[in-house]
Amino acid sequence: MGEYAELNKQKLKDVFNDPSLFNKPVKEVEEKWKLVPAFLKVKGLVKQHIDSFNYFINVEIKKIVEANSKVTCDADPLFYLKYINVYVGTPDVDEGFNISKAITPHECRLRDMTYSAPITVDIEYTRGNQRVSKTGLLIGRMPIMLRSSNCVLTNKSEYELAKMNECPLDPGGYFVVKGQEKVILIQEQLLKNRMIVEESKFGIQCQVTSSTHEKKSRTIVFVKGAKYFMAHNSFTDPIPVSIVFKALGLTSDQEICSYICPKDICKFAPTLEECHNLDIYTQEAALKYLGTKLVAKRFVTSASKYKTPTDEARDMLATTVLAHVPVKEYNFQTKAIYLALMVKRVIDAQNNKKAIDDRDYYGNKRLELAGSLLSLMFEDVFKRFNWDLKSIAEKTIPKIRASQFDVIKYMRSDLITNCLVFAISTGNWTIKRFRMERQGVTQVLSRLSYISALGMMTRINSQFEKTRKVSGPRSLQPSQWGMLCPSDTPEGEACGLVKNLALMTHITTEGDDYPLIRLATNTGVQDINLVGGEALQSPINYIVFLNGNILGVTKEYKYLLDSFRMWRRAGKISQYVSIYLNKSQRCIYISSDGGRLCRPYIIVKNGIPLVTSKHISDMEKGIGVIRSFEDFLHRGLIEFLDVNEENDSFIACYEHNITTQSTHLEIATFTLLGVCAGLIPYPHHNQSPRNTYQCAMGKQAMGTIGYNQRNRIDTLLYSLVYPQPPIVKTKTIEMTHFDKLPAGQNATVAVMSYSGYDIEDALIINKASIDRGFGRCLVYRNSKCFLKRYANLTFDRIQGPLLDPVSNKVIWKHNILDADGIVAPGELVTNRQVLVNKSVPVLSNVPGTSAGASNIDYKDVAVSYRNVEPSYVEKVMVSTNEDDSGLIKILLRQTRRPEIGDKFSSRHGQKGVVGLVVDQEDMPFNEYGICPDIIMNPHGFPSRMTVGKLIELLSGKAGLVEGKFHYGTAFGGSKVQDVSEELVKHGFNYQGKDMFYSGITGEPLEAYIYSGPVYYQKLKHMVQDKMHARARGPRAVLTRQPTEGRSRDGGLRLGEMERDCLIGYGASMMLVERLMVSSDQCEVDVCNNCGRLGYCGWCNSCKSSGHVSTITMPYACKLLLTELQAMNITARLTLTHYCQ
Amino acid sequence: MSDPSTKDSTTTKTPMVYICGECHSENEIRPRDPIRCRECGYRIMYKKRTKRLIVFDAR
Repeated sequence: MGEYAELNKQKLKDVFNDPSLFNKPVKEVEEKWKLVPAFLKVKGLVKQHIDSFNYFINVEIKKIVEANSKVTCDADPLFYLKYINVYVGTPDVDEGFNISKAITPHECRLRDMTYSAPITVDIEYTRGNQRVSKTGLLIGRMPIMLRSSNCVLTNKSEYELAKMNECPLDPGGYFVVKGQEKVILIQEQLLKNRMIVEESKFGIQCQVTSSTHEKKSRTIVFVKGAKYFMAHNSFTDPIPVSIVFKALGLTSDQEICSYICPKDICKFAPTLEECHNLDIYTQEAALKYLGTKLVAKRFVTSASKYKTPTDEARDMLATTVLAHVPVKEYNFQTKAIYLALMVKRVIDAQNNKKAIDDRDYYGNKRLELAGSLLSLMFEDVFKRFNWDLKSIAEKTIPKIRASQFDVIKYMRSDLITNCLVFAISTGNWTIKRFRMERQGVTQVLSRLSYISALGMMTRINSQFEKTRKVSGPRSLQPSQWGMLCPSDTPEGEACGLVKNLALMTHITTEGDDYPLIRLATNTGVQDINLVGGEALQSPINYIVFLNGNILGVTKEYKYLLDSFRMWRRAGKISQYVSIYLNKSQRCIYISSDGGRLCRPYIIVKNGIPLVTSKHISDMEKGIGVIRSFEDFLHRGLIEFLDVNEENDSFIACYEHNITTQSTHLEIATFTLLGVCAGLIPYPHHNQSPRNTYQCAMGKQAMGTIGYNQRNRIDTLLYSLVYPQPPIVKTKTIEMTHFDKLPAGQNATVAVMSYSGYDIEDALIINKASIDRGFGRCLVYRNSKCFLKRYANLTFDRIQGPLLDPVSNKVIWKHNILDADGIVAPGELVTNRQVLVNKSVPVLSNVPGTSAGASNIDYKDVAVSYRNVEPSYVEKVMVSTNEDDSGLIKILLRQTRRPEIGDKFSSRHGQKGVVGLVVDQEDMPFNEYGICPDIIMNPHGFPSRMTVGKLIELLSGKAGLVEGKFHYGTAFGGSKVQDVSEELVKHGFNYQGKDMFYSGITGEPLEAYIYSGPVYYQKLKHMVQDKMHARARGPRAVLTRQPTEGRSRDGGLRLGEMERDCLIGYGASMMLVERLMVSSDQCEVDVCNNCGRLGYCGWCNSCKSSGHVSTITMPYACKLLLTELQAMNITARLTLTHYCQ
Repeated sequence: MSDPSTKDSTTTKTPMVYICGECHSENEIRPRDPIRCRECGYRIMYKKRTKRLIVFDAR
């Protein structure tokens, strides 16, 4: 870390002759936050997803196909199939007759189709003795991420997007699969191919999870009883490290020791002794020993017949153990050095506990995005595709046929298509190669509000089990600063495991490492294989790693660091490459791998930030060389730092924090929060859990979904009738365009007590406000109907409305149907009315009759409306889906006004239900005649400490009188002092309090009332969807007990704990009444002679009616007795009379 | 249900008018016809609004 400081000290004198100049405070660049919208303009909020997917379909897929480019077969040595190239096209739909038409995502949503593009390949293969090449062969379809490079929406103007029925503010980054919008969540996992030293059961161990395209394996070096062992899952037992070294070709003990650690040689001696005990002195002997420890292979292949265990062990060492370290022609030198370093790390950690790594440190994490997950999936299915072709070729070629074997005929596109579609639509990621099985990788994009959709795109899922009670991975890590939002995490079981990205975070995609190797060698890094063990140990040498592999050794580590940073700033190497120093390990790590979190910072040189106000104003005006965020990067004014490099820099939060040592300056402090937390005004004045609550509630707020919300036919869509942008905004709100798609209304709030209906956070609402449209919302639901065709030439049909035979009028159920048997838009639908009068053919599988399809029986399966509250039909869509069967979607609308029990919340985690709706005449009013929309109980404040809400009210009020929006941006925003002055200027009280009069008596209230506008969100929880009561109703068939749940008109459960109360109290008759009489009472005949159940006063086992009496018991009990009897267990009842 | 065969024939005789989702032109489509706009070939159709009087609850 210190190297920057030293550098700076030298140069200071050169730059400034007069040292007093240096003591001047650094001038603040007022508008530097404008870099954030510039960043978002270029990067967008979901750039990580889109970048990752673009990388996959443009680069990675070609690499995968190239790696698996050849298919051969054992049956014919001349046969081969070679993939020359692969392309992913633009999304289209097959119209039949080989005509395809470009398709828009919205059409896919409406028609329940998959938004996918063809994957075509150029191939070269043999047909008989001919060599044939073919271009543009379809092998499958790839679901396309919206707004990715191949999507029709990219680089389109707002007008063009509107033409395609797409919202210009929609972030994209998700897939449309079978009409559903699916997001592949960001998956967090421990980094691959790096050494991690940690404490385990036995003691300290060093673990490496190697991951290459072919193999995934874990190698562990651990210490047990003063000896060092290597464990790997291809070996049955842990193996003494010394034997592995000998097998890797380091046969002399001296050489081994020189690579490990000459200082701690005594520690390593017992391990070396192991070799001597086992008489292993040569590489051959060591490999032979390893051969005996191999895990037996499950499948015997033809190759394994020729291989001796020794060869097998050598192969294993070359390919599987530490798979990511390259081995060329069985030269194990690099691998041996790597292993030695692992041992050394363990020894170091034994001497010094500080050397143990932190697993929860964010530099040790990698995030997997849609692109990398899909590439795993694609590679797996592509291999399977090739393997299928190979086995078909092997089966078919030996047979003599009229036509020659043509492999193209067997290349069908549905395997790859179905696999990808299935994976995305179910979220089950099964990759057989790595034995990976993950559930819930994808989720349906939540469209409750614009923010909920945005919030979902930034969500990070971690692989930890939710049930485990571990605090480490759940707690906030200091290294998350600026990368992940500290507020936005769910409460409860997933707390701290599900996280969200902060506003400016970027996730890297894989970069090319060849230029990095060249640059490193040119800056004096010596190849690791050319230096001896002594050089590794010498304190002046620094080991250089590139993506976890040892690259070499350098003496001039400062020069290396500086030149890498210089080239990065000059734009000669990728801007996402990170380089950092670990001085205690004497290592320099260079990373260019994908999945690292990074974030832009302003570069500070000699105590002066490079970005000046001129740059910002130039960017705003669009003049000069600097016009966009990219230009700042190219000019070397701003750079991206990942978590590891961030830890190696001195970053000043504000200009006044800059010292001579500072290397970077924060662009804007509010970017440490995410999208959801960015909505909160004055979050820095709130108690932290309140911000967390708001992050959860902001996603449930009703408002606007997108500009295309009226064109969508979703299963459930809430929208507010009169949404308003908040008076107190934040910069984040403007950047996320929440002010264009708001979810809430500015309500005038009076903080006072009113009646007793406002206890426990209940709100009092002004009835006149409701009449004017406050909190009024639209609830859209859809009803779907498919018209299928069947194999026996029958099909589903829709009939017109049915006439009543007596009155010759349309029956009530079909009242709203048109002549085509589908409801007409605009009609009011009440409970049990028919929406689509569909009937399906009854399957009569009599073989001969299939020809006479004219008289098939049809069964009515009408789609009817089931809801006590009526709806209006907004829209009826008639279309066909991908496989040409009919699809009818009906959009139903309800308009709801707020009522008692509806849930509202402000933006400070202050939720409450409506407790009372009061006529305006009874509401308090002030001398201006202002009457609050909402009365909130002041008891909500003291314990919750949501001071932000108080300030929001004050700023909002000042905004009202001044006629402008105020800002409540985190760590900034309008100051209370200024806001209060503004109020005074307009004749209001400095503290925001007003004189109010009682609406009931007309008397002035005794206290001044704190009142003003607060932004209120209507949450999706409404009484109408929840209220439920039942006296009598349906019962479950099996147990005859009342059904469960509101949707089935179920009973209200008297649960175990309620039962315990009754037992404890001794209310036995109450118990009988609740658990039997009101539930599943049943009259049973019991024979007192044999104790078994009889019927109709007759005991069938005794063949008599002499001892049979009728008793009442719960049907569940009777069921148990009979079920036991069915298992050959008889429970006998003994009856005694009451009075005896 | 009362007389399915005659009902079927009447519905096939009387085509319904649907509106194309792309070009908004009116299309007469009979049951079992492919759903496709005659003007632009778009495959999403919307039904026309009811001719009946609808009374709204003004609250």
